[in-house]
Amino acid sequence: MNSPVRAANTAHGPERSRLSRMASDPKIRGWVAQAVVGTLIVLAGYYLVSQTIYNMEKRGLTAGFDFLSSTAGFSIGFHLIDYQPTDTFSRVFLVGVVNTLFVSVIAIIFATLFGFIMGIARLSHNWLIARLAATYVEVVRNTPLLLQIFVWYLGVFTLLPPPKQAFEMVFGIFVLNNRGFYSTAAVPGELFWITGIAIIAGLALTVMLRRSARAQREATGDAPAWGWKALAVLVAAPAAVFVLTGSPLSWEVPTLKGFNYQGGWAVPPPFLALLIALTVYTSAFIAEIVRAGIQSVGKGQTEAALSLGLPRSRTLKLVVIPQAMRAIIPPLISQYLNIVKNSSLAVAIAYPDLVGLWMQTSLNQAGRAIEIVATTMLFYMVVSLSISGLLNIYNRRVQLQER
Amino acid sequence: MSDTHSETDLAKAGVTRDAEPFNPKPARLPPGLSVGPLAWMKQNLFATWLDTIITIICAVIIFMLVRHLVTWGILDSVWDAANRRECMNKSPDGACWAGPRLWFHQFIYGLYNVDERWRVNLGFFVLVAWMVPLFLSRVTVKLPTAAGLVLTYPLFTSYLFYGGEKGIFWTIVSALGIACFIWAMVNMLMELFAGKPLGKLLEQKFGMVSLKPRMLLLVALWAAVSIIWSGVELEVVRTVRWGGLFVTLVVAGIGITFALPAGIVLALGRRSKLPLIRIVCVVFIEVFRSVPLITVLFMATTMVPLFLPEGVTFDKLLRAIIAVCLFAAAYMAEVVRGGLQSIPRGQYEAAAAMGLGYWRTTGLIIMPQALKLMIPNILSNFIGLFKDTTLVAIIGLFDLLGMVQAMSEATDWIGLVDEPYLFAALVYFIGCFAMSRYARHLENKLSTEHR
Repeated sequence: MNSPVRAANTAHGPERSRLSRMASDPKIRGWVAQAVVGTLIVLAGYYLVSQTIYNMEKRGLTAGFDFLSSTAGFSIGFHLIDYQPTDTFSRVFLVGVVNTLFVSVIAIIFATLFGFIMGIARLSHNWLIARLAATYVEVVRNTPLLLQIFVWYLGVFTLLPPPKQAFEMVFGIFVLNNRGFYSTAAVPGELFWITGIAIIAGLALTVMLRRSARAQREATGDAPAWGWKALAVLVAAPAAVFVLTGSPLSWEVPTLKGFNYQGGWAVPPPFLALLIALTVYTSAFIAEIVRAGIQSVGKGQTEAALSLGLPRSRTLKLVVIPQAMRAIIPPLISQYLNIVKNSSLAVAIAYPDLVGLWMQTSLNQAGRAIEIVATTMLFYMVVSLSISGLLNIYNRRVQLQER
Repeated sequence: MSDTHSETDLAKAGVTRDAEPFNPKPARLPPGLSVGPLAWMKQNLFATWLDTIITIICAVIIFMLVRHLVTWGILDSVWDAANRRECMNKSPDGACWAGPRLWFHQFIYGLYNVDERWRVNLGFFVLVAWMVPLFLSRVTVKLPTAAGLVLTYPLFTSYLFYGGEKGIFWTIVSALGIACFIWAMVNMLMELFAGKPLGKLLEQKFGMVSLKPRMLLLVALWAAVSIIWSGVELEVVRTVRWGGLFVTLVVAGIGITFALPAGIVLALGRRSKLPLIRIVCVVFIEVFRSVPLITVLFMATTMVPLFLPEGVTFDKLLRAIIAVCLFAAAYMAEVVRGGLQSIPRGQYEAAAAMGLGYWRTTGLIIMPQALKLMIPNILSNFIGLFKDTTLVAIIGLFDLLGMVQAMSEATDWIGLVDEPYLFAALVYFIGCFAMSRYARHLENKLSTEHR
């Protein structure tokens, strides 16, 4: 492109200046660059599409989403929503999504709890505790998650005793054996919905109580005691309703029948291995986030609060933690996103998550590679975009409070 | 009593306020120990009752854990056995290190032909030797050495590891790697013993200040190496035979080498003022960052064959490497973007005031500063990538983790889990921990230079 322009430069005076001005104008250069990139993308896209169509025709493959309504025909080891092998592929997708979200949400809860404990332990005045927490964080963070999943699965959960010698914990409420973890389940009876309404009403009343107490404190400086009232509406009232409606709740205890335990809630070993590995791995990262967050609050803040006469507990609650949370929450949320993404490693130990059920089993059965890969990625993108959307909202709120 | 007198009276009488006999307060007790091991223990382990209880519980747990590990891993362990049954017979409760010991070479090389393993070793030693000048403070030619390593080492080793007939093109291309390596080594020796870089010595000798003598010498070296190299032909080792730590390092190494430049391009594209380029980069980065690596790997194994023209096949390793590269580039782009954002506006404005255009501003003003700020983040990104390479085991490649998995499923050693996985965990831990320590060291070093 350059050389003809340069040739023109030497030949004609006025022509030269216009062309060279055009060649060095950032706007025009920008358009040219975009045109080149756009053309390349279109060409590459055209090539990929035509080549794929050609290849698929040659192999007798068809495209389209019609397979979603055809029968899947395989069984799934663990599903939270009803599923039979006669169900369709769209149902399989749904089962995978629910399984992925299930393990992710539980791992998020445990990882947050454990991570906060470890992060605070790292700052402990007790040297032994601080060293132990630091060692835990370093060891866990510096070994691959997949390896940890394998160790939990092969080294712990498949070596558990068979059902006949299962561990029965807390008077048989929980049972652990090499087929999984069983927990006593609460089965709600007919009139249980009344108790449910009572609990929700209690929660609403508690929130109102708290608000009015806070308003009164801010108006008058008196802090009214509302704990007893809250206890009454939150615990006593629903309990009374529960008893009055005839205690409509029965317990289903897992019992050994034949070769395995039946009844109650049950999760298989791969789920447990994945859950624990995800929890442990992510908690190490969360511990670091919590430690950094707490350390990011200047020492002067604590000293100022203490010099105002606030006791240590209130200094923590009202001064340090609110400021630390501002530094903790954004990276914490991206760790949650990592849990959702990392739960896809389930495929290695055959926990039926979205990737295992959809990208592996269904892809082998239905053979629609492009459609299946696209839908899987779309799911993760939706999750990721919605979580980062939440993060943006949070950041905006924090910023507004700051000014 | 003294209250009744006025001040002047008192002064006259020569009586002061403290006329009463001086009664010293009893001396305070000496403070508790504040130095020495006992004081340290009091402060850090037994400060309160709760602390004491927690310390004792933790100490007991640690003691039991260590005792178990020592008896299991060392005292009762078996180092010499042909299979797991033999291990169990010798010592049922001890570790069976005989397994990992017999499989050690597979863990490192996979199924790479036994007679050809020296090639992997050679490649590794060349890498280490090439990295030595980068860490020596007396060697001043760092950037060209690093660039040579990153750009030409893969060319040389791709032939070294794969082998086969190389033809004119590959002979010349892979010879460039050897020539650059020789150059880097000679240069290092010159700097260490003659105190001057090779290029400078040549300039003094030939009395020229331009690049010419060293370029000429390098080209001559390249030509000579090509001629010698063309006579060497190595046996083909197909990538299905590659495995173990070797494959882990190949995947991670190529991923890292590709990710940094690609990440820089993507990050610049994302900050570009041209809408089309920005959109393309944003979409690429966001798509690859929001999906798990395993889906990208599955995509590479299932969809790439559909994209290729007839007769062209990529082997599995190459497909996995492509997936890892794309994935790593998207993450690196965000690291680079973070670094670019931390450069104050004044730097851009000053560059513009000097009359520098976009490329010069970026290349001479922004990137050098941003890269320096990014180094710790880049290294922690590399650690993540190194750990993520284990995922290739899921799509059926035998990296270190895949090899360990294969061993615990092999007939002789079936069910042997703890020992091989512990070995692999140790290898990954050493690699990642060393890198993270190095990142922290660099962070300190760079930040003191900065202020």
